[in-house]
Amino acid sequence: MMEEAGFVDVQVGPPVDTFAEAGGEGNARAFAVFGYAFLARKPG
Amino acid sequence: MVNQEVVAGVSPVDPDALRDEVRAKYREVAVDPHGEFHFHTGRPLARRLGYDDAIVDSLPDAAVESFAGVANPFSLQPLAPGEKIVDIGSGGGFDCFVAAQQVGAEGRVVGIDMTEEMLGKSRQTAADMGFDHVEFRDGLIEEMPIEDGWADVVISNGVINLCPDKAQVFAEINRVLKPGGRLQYADIANGNPVPEAAVADIDLWTA
Repeated sequence: MMEEAGFVDVQVGPPVDTFAEAGGEGNARAFAVFGYAFLARKPG
Repeated sequence: MVNQEVVAGVSPVDPDALRDEVRAKYREVAVDPHGEFHFHTGRPLARRLGYDDAIVDSLPDAAVESFAGVANPFSLQPLAPGEKIVDIGSGGGFDCFVAAQQVGAEGRVVGIDMTEEMLGKSRQTAADMGFDHVEFRDGLIEEMPIEDGWADVVISNGVINLCPDKAQVFAEINRVLKPGGRLQYADIANGNPVPEAAVADIDLWTA
């Protein structure tokens, strides 16, 4: 989606188990939900 | 490959109703940051997500306690001194205060949020800290109160997944960034498909 919006050089960081031991851990496990850092650049 | 579209779906919910739901949830996080939520908050969360301890420890509790991000938007590249930053969905201001330390007094940081209680909290904290290069504006990230091409970097943390029209959000980010500017954000993404019925259940967007 970022590339469709015109961004380039898209990078994605490693997954972070952000919901571990939180109330939402069940849903997170069911759908394999993790946090990620994203980096992209607007062409210049 | 991570999948961000499936987590939030392709706008199967009413945008205004979703905004009301999101405001209600994050109003709770602003006024009762130590309450029970389905996500972690505050200093324990910042530690879990790998933020720099020295920076987090230097911030007062009010700057950190309502933090509810999902990863670290500064982990792939730090900000540079003097850069102009926009934080979309700035909440209690935690990422803005981290950004403010990275860009220094020559930089500028503008946080945008739609929840009155979060704006009140972040503005008060910025004033208490004497951060006059940080400001917080009331607005929607689909229609940011930022001029064209102002920002060197747009940051965000756990917010874009809550917006039903992601194409509009990315188009708006593109508008406010300078040519060559960066988008550095953190968000959730799912590895397993989410059933359509779950995507259409507005309660599950913030649960």
